[in-house]
Amino acid sequence: MAMAVFRREGRRLLPSIAARPIAAIRSPLSSDQEEGLLGIRSISTQVVRNRMKSVKNIQKITKAMKMVAASKLRAVQGRAENSRGLWQPFTALLGDNPSIDVKKSVVVTLSSDKGLCGGINSTAVKVSRALYKLNSGPEKEVQFVVVGEKAKAIMFRDSKNDIVLSVTELNKNPLNYAQVSVLADDILKNVEFDALRIVYNKFHSVVAFLPTVSTVLSPEIIEKESEVGGKLGELDSYEIEGGETKGEILQNLAEFQFSCVMFNAVLENACSEMGARMSAMDSSSRNAGEMLDRLTLTYNRTRQASITTELIEIISGASALEAAK
Amino acid sequence: MASNAAVPFWRAAGMTYITYSNICANLVRNCLKEPFKAESIHREKVHFNLSKWADGKPQKPGTSLQDPYRFSNLIEI
Repeated sequence: MAMAVFRREGRRLLPSIAARPIAAIRSPLSSDQEEGLLGIRSISTQVVRNRMKSVKNIQKITKAMKMVAASKLRAVQGRAENSRGLWQPFTALLGDNPSIDVKKSVVVTLSSDKGLCGGINSTAVKVSRALYKLNSGPEKEVQFVVVGEKAKAIMFRDSKNDIVLSVTELNKNPLNYAQVSVLADDILKNVEFDALRIVYNKFHSVVAFLPTVSTVLSPEIIEKESEVGGKLGELDSYEIEGGETKGEILQNLAEFQFSCVMFNAVLENACSEMGARMSAMDSSSRNAGEMLDRLTLTYNRTRQASITTELIEIISGASALEAAK
Repeated sequence: MASNAAVPFWRAAGMTYITYSNICANLVRNCLKEPFKAESIHREKVHFNLSKWADGKPQKPGTSLQDPYRFSNLIEI
């Protein structure tokens, strides 16, 4: 704020300098005296005081935000860690094949609705773009499903033609499985895919988040892969109970896998968001504190200087009077 | 899965496994006794904004979903 004041002052001063080109030619000393603040002996501390006040307020806000993020993190962390049990059996059964080569990929980018949480959204977008480049090619198609306001805003700039769905306000109520499963259902109904690649930030600790890609394959692709062998080759050794075909089972499984993986991903991402916000707010309140220290120092110095000047003036005036007697 | 023979029917109705399992879960929730029932139903609130995109633009304001089970009439049966 104070900088803006200075800038405004500067703009007002500029034409007055430009209007007197002779002053510059005359002599540097005399022009300095003229441009200096006339009639003011000490510098006003008003600007610094205002700035200190605003920095203090900002520090208060960031501290409060840190507290809020910390308490929210604690609530969501346990649930995120518990939800890891949901996708693990699927990975054991179907494997995770991020490198699979398919025609239609859909990249699901998870991000937060609100900002001020470090780089988690931009990393998610970066990874999604990398996936786009990796998977696009002749006869190959990549589309985006964007979850969260922030990734939407970034993706809108350069890949808006590839977005098929966007989802926001997911975090309004506390996250729950029913909500995420309905979302997963909507995504399944609205996009055609051979592989869904979910990009999110996996929560490691309050300061460490790993951008992660989870791949969910469509039932046809799983079937094809298991016939070829490789990682999914063991799938045929499972017995199927009841009168269902393998295709039906796989379709049910793939759908359920997607909703489970989404649930975990959404929770992990929310957790990372809170962690990132916490550390971002922590460092910004620390920065505000440092800035406040520096400003206080400047303020006190200026104050002291003006007091000293005044004292000198009084003393010298008094001694002049003494000498006159 | 409650009944294996049911699969073709709910598939034919346009449901996915997710919807089907959600409806089943909701039935189970409805079987709870009172303080737990209201609590568990209250916990599973569904709310989000979904918008489809075409030609690089989001189509009209997305729908914000309040009814999680678009087959809620089936639950009564």
